Amino acid sequence: MSSHEEEEETGPSVDSTDPEERIAARRIRITKRIEAAKREAMGEDPNAKKKEDKEEQSKSRKQIEESRQRLTKLKADGTELVTNVKVAGDSREAQRRTEEEENHRQRTEKLEAEAKAGAERFEEITKKWESANNKDVPQDLHDLLMQQKALCDAMIDEKNKLITDFQMELKSKDDQYVKDLKKQAEDIDLMIERMEEQVKNLTRSYREELNQIEKAFEAERNELLDNNGVKWGQTMQGRRDKEVDFMKSREKRVDDYEQQIQHLRTQDAEEYNMVKIKLETDVQILEQQLQQMRATYQLNQEKLEYNFQVLKKRDEENTITKSQQKRKITRLQDVLNNLKVKLAKQEKQYREDNQALADDYKRITEQFKELQKKSKHFQATDTRKFYDIWVMNEEQAKQLVNDVLEQDRIIHEHQLGLPWNVPDVTFLENVGPLTSTGKKTVSAQQVLEEVMSSTKGSVGNGEDESELGEEEAEAGEDGLPKLSMKTIKQVLELLCDESGFLVESKLNKLLQPLEKDERSLMKLDAIFGALGIETEEDIHKLAGYFIKYKLIPAKGTDKHEDGEPSILEATIAGEGSVSGVGDGTIGTVTEEGEQKEAHEGEGEFEDQDVDAEVAQVTGEDEEVASVQSSVKSVADSLIHPNDVLKALREFVDDHHSQSKDKGKFQTFKIISGEERDDSQDEEYWRKYGSVLTTQNEKVWTALVTGLDKYSDVLNQRTKLISETDALRQQNAELRMLLHQYINSKVNNELEIPPTRVLNLEFQQ
Amino acid sequence: MAEPPLTEHNGTDQNDDEKGSIKSQNSQKGKKIPSPVPSAKDDAAADARNMRRIIAEDPDWSLATVPLLSELCVTHIVDEFQDHPKLDELLPKYKTKVLEKISTDIPLPVVAHLVSDEGYWKRRCKARWDICDVSKYGGSWKRMFFERHLENIVGHFVPESTDPAEVEALLPLAAPYIKKLNIKQLLPPVKEEQMRPLEDMSDAGSDSGDNQPSIDHFEFSQIIEKLPHIEEFHVTYGVRDCGMNFEWNLFQFTNRDCLLLSKCIKKCNTLKVFKLHRSKVDDDKVRVLISHILDHPSLEELDLEHNMIGDHGARAIGKLLNNHSKLKKLNLSNNKIRANGAGAIGYALTKNSTLKYINLRLNRLGDEGGQAVARALLKNSTLEEIDMGSNDMTEPTAAVLSQVVVQNTTLKKINLSCNRLGPDGGKQLQEGMEENNTIVEMDLRLTEAGQESEYCINQILKKNQERERELRLEKEKKEKEEKNI
Repeated sequence: MSSHEEEEETGPSVDSTDPEERIAARRIRITKRIEAAKREAMGEDPNAKKKEDKEEQSKSRKQIEESRQRLTKLKADGTELVTNVKVAGDSREAQRRTEEEENHRQRTEKLEAEAKAGAERFEEITKKWESANNKDVPQDLHDLLMQQKALCDAMIDEKNKLITDFQMELKSKDDQYVKDLKKQAEDIDLMIERMEEQVKNLTRSYREELNQIEKAFEAERNELLDNNGVKWGQTMQGRRDKEVDFMKSREKRVDDYEQQIQHLRTQDAEEYNMVKIKLETDVQILEQQLQQMRATYQLNQEKLEYNFQVLKKRDEENTITKSQQKRKITRLQDVLNNLKVKLAKQEKQYREDNQALADDYKRITEQFKELQKKSKHFQATDTRKFYDIWVMNEEQAKQLVNDVLEQDRIIHEHQLGLPWNVPDVTFLENVGPLTSTGKKTVSAQQVLEEVMSSTKGSVGNGEDESELGEEEAEAGEDGLPKLSMKTIKQVLELLCDESGFLVESKLNKLLQPLEKDERSLMKLDAIFGALGIETEEDIHKLAGYFIKYKLIPAKGTDKHEDGEPSILEATIAGEGSVSGVGDGTIGTVTEEGEQKEAHEGEGEFEDQDVDAEVAQVTGEDEEVASVQSSVKSVADSLIHPNDVLKALREFVDDHHSQSKDKGKFQTFKIISGEERDDSQDEEYWRKYGSVLTTQNEKVWTALVTGLDKYSDVLNQRTKLISETDALRQQNAELRMLLHQYINSKVNNELEIPPTRVLNLEFQQ
Repeated sequence: MAEPPLTEHNGTDQNDDEKGSIKSQNSQKGKKIPSPVPSAKDDAAADARNMRRIIAEDPDWSLATVPLLSELCVTHIVDEFQDHPKLDELLPKYKTKVLEKISTDIPLPVVAHLVSDEGYWKRRCKARWDICDVSKYGGSWKRMFFERHLENIVGHFVPESTDPAEVEALLPLAAPYIKKLNIKQLLPPVKEEQMRPLEDMSDAGSDSGDNQPSIDHFEFSQIIEKLPHIEEFHVTYGVRDCGMNFEWNLFQFTNRDCLLLSKCIKKCNTLKVFKLHRSKVDDDKVRVLISHILDHPSLEELDLEHNMIGDHGARAIGKLLNNHSKLKKLNLSNNKIRANGAGAIGYALTKNSTLKYINLRLNRLGDEGGQAVARALLKNSTLEEIDMGSNDMTEPTAAVLSQVVVQNTTLKKINLSCNRLGPDGGKQLQEGMEENNTIVEMDLRLTEAGQESEYCINQILKKNQERERELRLEKEKKEKEEKNI
């Protein structure tokens, strides 16, 4: 009956045999329940919703619901009707009880009142009995008795009355009871009647409702049937129509196809005929061809047979050659194997050789290193030795020179009585081997100062210029191009102006109060510090860059072409000379001592040599001067200030690379020995020789002869003196002997002692 | 005689046995069947014409006249059943036949344990009583028979004159089948006048209500102890259909009766329902009874309607309710409980957590008692049904009840009929009901509560009923599902 169940049964059923379906059904149910719970939680009345659902449901269900409601109402009404009787009875009973209670109370009150009254009366009577006892008169007593009797009667009457009352009441109660019984019987009858009626009603209405429900179901079913019938009819009609359509179209199609087939048949027949004819002709042609082919085949067969024979023969030959080849191969294989073995051996050997050589190489390098070390050591010792020898020789020479000079002085003063002029002996101040470094590396600082001071002390300072010229000349020997003061100054000014950024700002501040020149001097100092310029050389190089920079862009003019190579050549020559000198020194150091002696011995020749050298130097001077002039002309057009930075950069790069190169070269330099200039040694040593002039020598030679003579005389004298001395000594010895004799004891024994004789002689 | 053939009965044996069986048949059914039948049958095989002729000549002839031997045997068994009961040895089809035919008068000792067929017992019941409602006996006719039989015997048992052996003889037969005893009357012992029975009694008897000593009734201890399955026991100490022979002492429930009954109830651990009504049970007796059934292990329903229980008795009942029992239903209708007793019961209700139904109809609770009970309902959360009809309650009780209706969510049915609640009380109840959705029944007849309120309350009740119905359906469905799972 339940609408829910039927609702459920529309979907998948829980009672289904399929477990999947059951699961699905339960899921649906759960979702439904959750929804219902939600709805309830939201405060909606699920019933309302369900009722709506029900309204939407089919007629039958509606009918069922209606019937149910009606029946429940009917049942409730009926039950109420039936129970009404009971309730009424209850009510009456309750009423009765309350009344009964009231009555009971009244009754008890009444009884109590009565009892009280009765007791009073009884008291009264009993009192009277006492009075009656006192009465002696019978009549009085009678009267009293009568009175008493009357009283008692009255009391009894009252009691009887009460009793009758109660009995009446009882009776009425009995009546009431009977009435109640009757009433109850009636009630029961009524109840039964009502119940029966109710049952009847209910059965009737149940039947009716059942009928109605059945009707509703039937109606629904009919409706459903009708609907389905109509639907069925429609679909059937549709199907029929479709079938007819299909039939028609099919017929049409069949016709079409037939026509097409006919058409195709005729066409194909024609085609077939044509093809047949064509094929027949083809067959004929092919037959002919076949014949031909057969002939050719015959021919070919013969040919091939012949070929086959030939090939067979060849094959045989081939087999023979093959076997030969095989044999050869095996032989060669053997050879190959041998060679391989050999190769392996060779390889092994070479490897060993290689190993040995590598070891050798290692050893040699080690030896070489050792050698280097040794050479270094020797070099050092050599230099030391050289130095020591030099110093020793020098000392000797100095000693000698001093001796000579002293001699000369003595000769002049003592022998000749002439005033002695002290010759130039400044070179004697030198100690140790000659070194040209002091001259070479004029510090940049000095150069700066010089340059600046030169500007100060006007351009026309001849001495300075000459000095400079000398310097430049000396520098020229080193091969570096010497630029004119002016140029350098210009360059420096340019540098000072343009590269202020290299100077620290603090320094600038400090320099503020100084003079302009000094300021620029300090500035340049700082700049040089930043650029890493230390020597004059560097300054010149820098200047060269400045000029170069001017030159390079303007390449092509003859002047510059001349200028540059000259500089370069000079540098190359310088370097060459330096290296030459270095080599020379090592070789010449040992011979120096001899050379010195030779110097002394061959003073005149050396003079000439010196002259020649001077001449050479002057020649060089001239060359350098020419270079200078060219450079000067260049210096007039220095680079534009804007290019200074570029030039500086390039200079710095090159400078650094050079310094690096230097570092590299240093090892070699050490190996190749101390770079030493021994060109002046000769001169130096010669100076020792030339302390005495030729004139003096002449004097000395004259003196020698004179003195030789003198010495001969003296020698004779000495001879004589020595003779005298010898004589003297003989004398002394004789005296001694004499003395001895005198002093001997023999004398005493003698009569005349010799001593006395002697004394006497002396006295004489 | 028919034992072997019955069990091995076959068609082939038929002819051989028939001759023998006919004799017995004849002896039983007289000369109904003419003798030529067998010969005719024999001839029928030989000569068809013979047969035809016989048919023509003998209008009584019938093919079906000869019963099967098995049937004859069955009838014989049926006839001899009283002396030679045979049932279990038979094949099922014969068994049913036998059971259909055996007499309903066969003494109980024979059939009681042997026959378990409901059909037989149905016949037996119907033969004995006109009205038989088997649904009251759990659908078991046998149980119905024995229960009613025992009730009848006990009901007509007159102490000291009836032979107790009769009862004792019945007990072992009936004991396994009895679950419920509904003793509708108990006769007092026949006293003084030897021929007291019913007719000689006159009004004089009504006066002589003072001959009380030893009019004790039937002792239940002798039977209750022997009924292992008894669950329900109804008893009324009174006489039915006394008609004009009314006498007060016919309806006397003596102290000894009470004591014995109480002890008996105490011993019976299977009892679930105990009903003692229309027995003039007063306060003292109730106290005796309650003192015995305190903490009874199985008792669930106690019915003491139409007695004379007053406030003291109600207090005892209150004690019983106060966690000394497993009572689910308690009926105290038509007693004399007043405010004090109601107070005791109300207090017990606040502590109780088993009781589901209580009936206080037709008592004298008054407003005070009504309020006490109603306040108890505010705290109680198990009670589902309460009947307070005809209790002389008025408006103040209605005020408390309106609170109850708002707060309590377990109460489903409430009966307030025949109390003068008045229109104001009706209003209050209506207001309370508007916030309630659990109560499905509220009887307000004859309370003068005003039509409007009654109508409104009825509407609410209807709504609640609908809801309850849906909940019930849901529950049923769930149970069904659980079963399916």
